[in-house]
Amino acid sequence: MATTTRQDEQTIIGSTITIDGEIDAEGPVMVQGRVVGKLRSAGDVTVDEGGEVEAEVEAETVAVAGRLVGQVEARNRVEITAEGRVTGDLRAPRILIADGAQYKGNIDMG
Amino acid sequence: MAEATGTIGKGIKVRGEITGTGALEVAGEVEGRVALDRLVVHGGGTVAADVQVSELVIAGRAAGQLVASKRLEVRASAQVEGDVRAPSLVVEEGAVFKGRVHMDTGIPEDV
Repeated sequence: MATTTRQDEQTIIGSTITIDGEIDAEGPVMVQGRVVGKLRSAGDVTVDEGGEVEAEVEAETVAVAGRLVGQVEARNRVEITAEGRVTGDLRAPRILIADGAQYKGNIDMG
Repeated sequence: MAEATGTIGKGIKVRGEITGTGALEVAGEVEGRVALDRLVVHGGGTVAADVQVSELVIAGRAAGQLVASKRLEVRASAQVEGDVRAPSLVVEEGAVFKGRVHMDTGIPEDV
C-alpha cells in the first residue's frame, strides 16, 4: 500500500506555507515559503526565489536564491545565486557566491 | 481544487507548527500543529498533531485533535486515533478508527 512515487520523496514547502520548528529530511527539501527553526537534510536544501529561511541549516548542499538568515553547514557546497540574500556564518568545503548576491557573515572553508 | 502547495516527502520529519493557506501532502512525518486549507496524509505518512483545516484526507496514520471545517475523509488504509470534528465525515471500510467524533449535526451530545 505504501506507494513509492518520486513525488513522495520530494519535500516542497510551498509559498503559502510557514513551518516553525524542526525539519529532519532524508531527501531534498525545497523552500518556497517560510521556515523558522532548524532544517536538516541528508540531501540538498534549496531556498527558492521568494523563499525565506530563518534557521540553522545542515545539508549536503545548500542553494539560496531567496532569503536566508542563520548558520549554514554544508557537507559539500553552499551556493548563493544572484538573487540570494544570506546573513549568517557559512561552513562548507566549497562556497559559491554569484555576482549580485548579498551576503553578510563569516565563511569557514576549512 | 486547490493545488498542492506543499509536500512533506517520505523520510522527512517535521516537528513544530505548519501554518498558512493552500494544500499540504504528507508522505513523511509531522508532529505538532497544522493549520492550513487542506491536508492529505498519504498511505505511509504519519501526522501526530492538532490539525485545523477545511478539508482533511487521511490514508495514512493520524493522531490528535483533528478538525476539518468542511469535510473529513478517512480512507481504507487509514489509522486514526483522536478527537475528530467535521460537519461531513466519510470513513471507508477497512479504516481503523479510535476516538470521538463530533459532526455538529444538531444531535444532542448525550445521545
